[in-house]
Amino acid sequence: MIAQPRPKVQPWARPNREKTLWVSVASVLPALLGVGLAFALQLPFAVALIVFFLPIQLVAAIAVGIRFAKIKGAKDAVLTVFVVFFTALVFVLLLSVLESVFTRGLPTVSAHFLYQNNRYISTTTSLEYGGVGHAILGSLLVVLITTILAVPLGLLIGVYLTTSQSKMRNLVRSFTQALSGLPSVVSGLFVLAAMSYFGFSERTGFTGALALFPLMLPTVARVAEESLRLVPQDLRWAALGLGAPNYRAFFQVILPAAKTGIMTAVLLGIARIIGETAPLLLTMSTTNGTNLNPFSGALTTLPTFIYGFLNAGYSSSIARSWGAAVVMLLLVAIIFISARVITRKPSGKGKGK
Amino acid sequence: MAENSNATQVRRKLAVKPFSKGDKLFSRVTTAAANFAFVLVALILFFLFAQSWPALQSQGPAFLYGNLWDNTPGVDTYQLGPMIWGSLLIALLGVLTATPISVATAYLIAFMLPNRLSKVATTLVDLLAALPSVIIGLWGVYVFTPVAQEWAMLLNKYLGWFPLFSVDNIDQGFTSSPFIAGWIVAVMIIPIITSVTREIFSQLDRELINGALALGASRYTVLRRVIIPTSSSGIIGGVLLGLGRAIGETVAIFYVLQLSMDINLFKVLQPQGGAVASWILSRFAEATETEFHALMAAGLVIFIVTLIINMIAGAIVNRSQPWRKA
Repeated sequence: MIAQPRPKVQPWARPNREKTLWVSVASVLPALLGVGLAFALQLPFAVALIVFFLPIQLVAAIAVGIRFAKIKGAKDAVLTVFVVFFTALVFVLLLSVLESVFTRGLPTVSAHFLYQNNRYISTTTSLEYGGVGHAILGSLLVVLITTILAVPLGLLIGVYLTTSQSKMRNLVRSFTQALSGLPSVVSGLFVLAAMSYFGFSERTGFTGALALFPLMLPTVARVAEESLRLVPQDLRWAALGLGAPNYRAFFQVILPAAKTGIMTAVLLGIARIIGETAPLLLTMSTTNGTNLNPFSGALTTLPTFIYGFLNAGYSSSIARSWGAAVVMLLLVAIIFISARVITRKPSGKGKGK
Repeated sequence: MAENSNATQVRRKLAVKPFSKGDKLFSRVTTAAANFAFVLVALILFFLFAQSWPALQSQGPAFLYGNLWDNTPGVDTYQLGPMIWGSLLIALLGVLTATPISVATAYLIAFMLPNRLSKVATTLVDLLAALPSVIIGLWGVYVFTPVAQEWAMLLNKYLGWFPLFSVDNIDQGFTSSPFIAGWIVAVMIIPIITSVTREIFSQLDRELINGALALGASRYTVLRRVIIPTSSSGIIGGVLLGLGRAIGETVAIFYVLQLSMDINLFKVLQPQGGAVASWILSRFAEATETEFHALMAAGLVIFIVTLIINMIAGAIVNRSQPWRKA
């Protein structure tokens, strides 16, 4: 029952054929009945689900539960039904998002959609022209700048949290945690407020990157801390015992040992910010052309592209939004999968036990 | 930990103080970086406060409870009451929806699924967390709203006598309501609550659970008497983290909710509501000079509220996860 390996052969567990049979009947029959009734009475799916399927499933589960373990079994049955139902709901929501993005977005995506920019494209231009090339470049550029700013600092905070003996440590940790819940729109307003305080008015890619910085920093710091903590203290002590100063012990022993964990920290940090929209809308002007200079001129990223074309409200512009959403999801997926692959390596971050 | 002053109890610590030049520099650099966490919070507070001061001064306390937002030069009245109430209402709906779902999912992952499946399920929940909010918003408008509209119609038809599910005018339709926004927020905070709860479940004392099972307890009894009492504070911490996120959610709500300065107290199916963060986004583009300061003040309000919620949540989660402290 607990998530830990059980011996394959369980001589004490006598197989109970009758119980297996009834449990499988109770899990299949209600679904069939629910579907059948829905079709027979021409009911919408939602009504059939709540009015027929769930009660029938509950009654069936309770009946089987009582049959084998009296009232105790009934309670367990109710618990199981609700737990499975709720979890299924979560996965249905997730699959619904993925499915809708791909079915609605893929028709828009084509080779030119990936590399062309949107210069001379209006919201009603047909989909044969224009694309998200400029937005992909913009996203990568802004994320790169934020990464360059946030990763060293986040890493150093992680180092401080794992090596310092100071009493401030817990306070630093709780502030970092609190920052990780910073609403993204506030982060954008913060940069905007600072800009207007200093009388600086040009909204460029760099100011957008600055607005993403407070969002990325805590993620990097937290994951870096966790992966540094997984390096055995003995390694550090051995290095110190051989006469290495703290910083060399860190750079030559701890950092190489925690390398994969730190890569994960960077990737998770990027995943945190790559989809941010609100702060960029506040701090960056958008454009339809390609701009590779973050310090002057407007810059568009994928999320702001989606936002802009969705707001325009024409069917072709909305189709562009869905297409950009597919590209966005693929970018997120690449980051996500590489983070998983890195952590799976044996030298990497294991499950803390 | 209180050190005993008894001399025999003193244990030597390795490398207590940096002594070489390089070490001193290293320790100073890391400490400076760590202090930057405070500096950043202070900077955010300072700049937001500096920019919102004109608005706070001119609007007074009515900024928080009044319900008029007029940027006509000369009138310049900015009050945020309906938006603040709407934010709370949506966050509450989202948390009430997400909590049972998340705890159930975490329970299934931690205690019922076989190892391999539970890893897959964990990955999928993390994937849900990685979905950008603009995509959730897009999905919310074009896929979720039509479905939710149908549900809302049914709720209103059969439970409309209950004030919560009543609407002023049935012809307005059932889109863009706090009900839908609450669900969208729930989709975004389910992964947060689930992962915190799952972590706490997976670190529970196995001996306790095995002992209870050996004594003949059923699954339900174990949940009720062992799992919930030992992990409830951690779950509450996770729920608070979700609440913080719900209050700060901007883009997704902006799409699925009809923002209105007419306060909607509790009619969750009515197509009017409020959310401070989305209000900032919707007013920002054509804000006048004075309105700009008022929007900064709105940002300050969300920042302070979420900071407090997150601080409390962090403290609770940390206390219920002692294994995280080195």
